Formats: sequence, structure tokens, C-alpha cells
Amino acid sequence: MAEISVKNLHKEFGLGEDKVVALEDVNLDIGGHVFVSIVGPSGCGKSTLLNILSGIETPTSGKIDITHDNHEAAPGYVFQAARLLPWRTVMDNLLFVQTTRDQVVKDRCQHYLDMVHLGDKGDKYPGELSGGMQQRVGIARAFSVEPDVLFMDEPFSHLDAITARSLRRELHSMWVETQKTILFVTHDVGEAVELSNRILVFAKGGRLEDDITIDLPFPRDPADEAVAVAKAQVLRKFEELDLIAT
Amino acid sequence: MTTVAEPLSARQPKKTKQDNTLLRIVKSPKFARLLFPIAVLVVWYASIEIIRAIWPFAVDVLPTPTETVSAMWDELIDPFVEGTQAATRENLYATFARSLGRLGLGFAISMVLGTIIGLAMGLSKAADAFFHDWTMALLAMPALAWALFGSLVFGFGTAGPVFTVVAAGIPFVIINVREGVRNTPIELFDMARAFGVPQNRTTRHVLLPSLMPFMFAAVRYAFSIGWKGLVIAEVFGGQNGAGWTIKFWYDAHRAHAVVGYAFFFIIFALFLEKFVFDRMAERVFKWRPSAVEIVEEGFEDQSDLVESARADYGAIGAATALTEIGIVRESEQDG
Repeated sequence: MAEISVKNLHKEFGLGEDKVVALEDVNLDIGGHVFVSIVGPSGCGKSTLLNILSGIETPTSGKIDITHDNHEAAPGYVFQAARLLPWRTVMDNLLFVQTTRDQVVKDRCQHYLDMVHLGDKGDKYPGELSGGMQQRVGIARAFSVEPDVLFMDEPFSHLDAITARSLRRELHSMWVETQKTILFVTHDVGEAVELSNRILVFAKGGRLEDDITIDLPFPRDPADEAVAVAKAQVLRKFEELDLIAT
Repeated sequence: MTTVAEPLSARQPKKTKQDNTLLRIVKSPKFARLLFPIAVLVVWYASIEIIRAIWPFAVDVLPTPTETVSAMWDELIDPFVEGTQAATRENLYATFARSLGRLGLGFAISMVLGTIIGLAMGLSKAADAFFHDWTMALLAMPALAWALFGSLVFGFGTAGPVFTVVAAGIPFVIINVREGVRNTPIELFDMARAFGVPQNRTTRHVLLPSLMPFMFAAVRYAFSIGWKGLVIAEVFGGQNGAGWTIKFWYDAHRAHAVVGYAFFFIIFALFLEKFVFDRMAERVFKWRPSAVEIVEEGFEDQSDLVESARADYGAIGAATALTEIGIVRESEQDG
């Protein structure tokens, strides 16, 4: 099982007067088959946290440990935009991030393309697919490296409501099936409540303000009363923390 | 009332239908394309006739289309007809082969040097500051000046024209490569790093393909600007080659051969454009989306997006722009 441990994490950008604190003294422990959502207003450092955890950025100070059965955990990443290589086919985009390219790996890539219902689109170029399909390729790519931890940075925020909803359902069943640890950044509280066991609330200035456990059975229907109540509770916490934009 | 209205309504659709077909033919791009050379020929003939009527002595100097075509034909068949080859000069094919050789050599040098300097300028601000003003100065320099300078320095022969090709083409290579490096897709490099893709694979599959559109622009510019520079340089500093040969006909007062040779220049350049560069571009950029191939999903007309991307960003940027436009439209719908 993947274990994520973050201690006294601090991150700032710029120097002198331009200095911006993105994350301030963040402490976290995440472990096992959990779906953790990170919510908060824009500029609260949620994407920065994900970038530091996945190694795209380095922290100013603090300690991060991501292990899987006591060895270094392999990460997968889904970005806000699909970030596919436009000059490679869908299948080659999946193969691009693999360490080897034997038949086993190819079959595995095909398996995850099937999982996102794009099994027959392997030889298409990303530009030939719609935005929702491209994002699904991005999800298949992240799963295809068989990561121990999956980082997702607002993966559905650029999609229309209906496409986003069907992708959320797909993601949920993939999470159940693959037993991954998922860290999911979003600014959509409804989305967070629908998908996660645990919601971390960040405030402006990069402080971790609250850690909410959502103990409701899956799959969750946003129209369901218990889900709606949970969403209202999280939103109320937002208000208490004065996080809602004035 | 009805008797008047009836024949009118019966006749009218028939008439408009006829008009439409005729209009459609006249308005079609194919017809317009065909019309242009015909119009040119008509103007050409007509102006010669008019000038002949005013000033009869001009007849010997002004080349008619028939004279020009027959001069071109003579050039084309020259090496295949025994005993006609002029001893003083090389035939058409040898001439163009020689010029192409010089163009190729100069082009290769300007590509290599230009790529090195362009990479340095794209990667380092100091290198950019060092080369920037002089690249702009090179751009402002007419090829004619390089040609004269080249023949002064290198004398008559190959070096002067090759030098002109390099000097005329290199600023375009530098600028395009620099822009290519500046426009590398950082988000794709971040993606590769997040997945732990090794550096050499990232270079091969992310950096180089992202540079390709800019390299292609560099190749096309270096070739077409270099070609024009070469011809001018051969006029002044060549002892053979395409530019020298058109000068040869000019000195011989053979106007129709001069015009005919100018047509060979055009044909040569268009041939390279259509059969070399366009083919290469088709192969390298087969990943670019075209409106027909887009797979439809959901509620949005993607082909519409592709078209507007094409219009806004041109063919080269359309693919990358497409995602961005898609994003903007989708978030607009949400809001």
C-alpha cells in the first residue's frame, strides 16, 4: 500500500517584495486505497502541492516521503489539459511514458484504453479526438504506468458538465478496480464529495485548514440526499473559513 | 390576374436555374484559376499589337508568347538534337544542375550555422543580445549587395554565389529556430518529467517534433530566398549557372530567351515547392488534424473549432491552438 507522508512542507516563489508563499507548514499523512480530494480557492497552493509531490517542483523546505511497501512509489499524473504529444498516436502517447515496450506493456496499454472506452482509437492522433476523449487518453496514460499513487490536477474542469460527469463515473470505477491511492485537486466541492473518502481544505496562503472524512457508500449520486447534505456541510466549512470569494 | 401570374411563376425558376449554373461556373475558384493565364496571354498579345501599331521598330525587341515558348522548347530539346549545342555555354539541364548544387551547398551551410546560432539565441539571453541586432541587419541587407560583395571578394566562380545563398538565407533560419526554441511546449516537458521519462527520449519525442514546424519554415525561407540570391549572384559573379545564362541571353539581345529563362526559374522553384517541400511537410505533419478526420463526440461541432483554429493560427499552429480554443469555448459554456 502506498504511504504519503508530508512534514513541515513550505514552498515560496520569487524573492524580496515579489515573494509569494504557496504552501505554509503543511503536514499530511495519506495511506492505502483512498481517494483524497484537495479543495480550495484558486491560488491556495493545491496544484503546487501536487507538483511537489509528483516531483515537477521542489519544496523550499520540508520533507516528503512517498513509499509503496517500503520502496519508492511510482507516480502517475493526470493534468488539467490532456497534455498529449500531438504528433504521436494515442497508443504511442501511452507507450511514451512506459519504461519498456514489450508485448506485455502494449497489452497493458490496450487494456487501459479499453477501460476508458477508447480501445479502437489507438492509432488516432490526439487532434482527431474531442476534448473529452483526449482527457480520457490522459487518464488511461496515468493508469497504464501502473502507478502506486495517482495525482490528478483538476482533470475535468475544462470539460462540459455532461462529459465531466461520465468521466467521474469512469474514474470512480477504475479507482475501485485498481485499488490505487488517488490525490485529486479540484475547486468543485460537489465533485470532491461525490468521489472521495477524504477532503483536504486549503485556504489562501497555502494553509491546510481542514481535513474532512466523507463516510458515505459508493457510488454516490449527487442528487442523493446524504450526498447533498455532505456537500452542504463542506460548503459551510468553506464559509466558516471565509474561503468563498467575496 | 391569375393568367398573368401563372406564366411568370412558371418561367422564373427555370431562368434562375440557368443563371445559377452559369454563375456557379464563373464564380468557381477553378475557373478563376484558369482565367488568369488566359487573361495574361490576352494582355500580352494585345499590348504587343498596340505597341507595334504605335512604334513599328519595337517588333524585333518585344517577345511574343509564341517566340518565348519556342525559345523554351529549343532549350529543352537542345541536348537531344545533334550538332546544335552551343559551344559557349552549358545546356539547360547542366545549368540548372549546377545552380541547384550551389543552392544546396549554400542552403546546407546556412541551415547548420543558422540552427546553431538560433539554438544559442533561444537558450541564452546573452547569446540573443549578442546576435540580435546583427541578425536584423542581415535581414535588411538586399541579396544584390551580397552578390556584388561576393563577386568582389571571391571573384568569378562558385564561391561568390554560394556565399550569397548563405548570407541571404541564414537570418531566416536563425529567427525561425530561435522562435522554435522559445515556443517549446513546457507543459509537455513537465508531463514527461512527472512520468519519469528519460531525457534522451524527451528530446527525441518532445523537443525535436515541437521544433519541426519552425525548421520547416526555416527550410522554405532559406531555399526560396537563397534561390533568388543565387540567381543575382550568378549574374554578377558566375561563369555558368541559371543566373549567368539569363545574362547571356540579355547580352545577346534575345528578349524572348530572357523571358523564357525567367519562366524556367518559376517552374524550377514551383517544382521544388510542390514536389519536395509539400511532400516532406505532408509526411512530417500527418498528425495535424483536418476537419474531416475529427471524431465526433458529445454536443460540440469540433470541425467548426478546427476551422476557426486554422483561421486564427494558420495551419502550423492550428493543432496546438485547437486545444486552447476548445478549452475557452467549453468554459464559456459553463459560465
